[in-house]
Amino acid sequence: MRLKDQFQVQTVVGQPVIVGDISVTPQSQAIIIRLPIGGFVWNRPTDLLVEQGGQAKRIPIRDLTRILQLGLLGFCVVLSIVRLMKFSQRKEFRP
Amino acid sequence: MIESRNKVLSFAEKTSDQLPTMLERLFVAARSDAVYSQPVISGNYTVITASEVTAGGGFGSGAGFGPATSSSQKERPDEEGSQAEQANSGGGGIGGGGGSAGRPVAVIIIGPEGVAVKPVFDVTKIALAGITAWITMLAMFRKVRKMSRG
Repeated sequence: MRLKDQFQVQTVVGQPVIVGDISVTPQSQAIIIRLPIGGFVWNRPTDLLVEQGGQAKRIPIRDLTRILQLGLLGFCVVLSIVRLMKFSQRKEFRP
Repeated sequence: MIESRNKVLSFAEKTSDQLPTMLERLFVAARSDAVYSQPVISGNYTVITASEVTAGGGFGSGAGFGPATSSSQKERPDEEGSQAEQANSGGGGIGGGGGSAGRPVAVIIIGPEGVAVKPVFDVTKIALAGITAWITMLAMFRKVRKMSRG
């Protein structure tokens, strides 16, 4: 089994939902890991393709919970680095 | 004994044939309809929920055969039939596990005003992440303070 078969990133397009003159086509991104003894799938919505009156536009779907979680993690990492840098500077200047 | 050995082998073969089919069911989560719900119509509005889906699983199987000498057989090696029993004892097993999880990410509303995407906040997840980050930072700061004093 090659790495390409084991690890896949797919953009999945769903069935369009038509309401009046609006057509909404949902899209998602799936990360698939296939192993001989098991597997893992992570599928998340990415955007919507909206067609109305002959015009098409893409509306992204943002996962605010994930963005906030990552933001908190980033804030923690930055604060820890700053603290460690201050500590190492204080140690250098100590007589 | 040979009969039971063949039984174990055929069972292991049968289950290992079925495992890829079971695994394929896991990859259903990679389809688009696993992420987007069926549209719900209420008056002039059509609502679709978009969720993040995660699924995983694994399995394993094994079988083994070999001599299984008991203490009584060791004491009496000349006993009739003991060699045949020694050569044919064994066993096999199969096991596996898996799980899946889903979390709503956004609600899509199609109405007379057009298409609107409303995000869904998972307050519990954010609060848990905040508490974990706060405790980790506090522990680290305490350690740094101790190191600077010592």
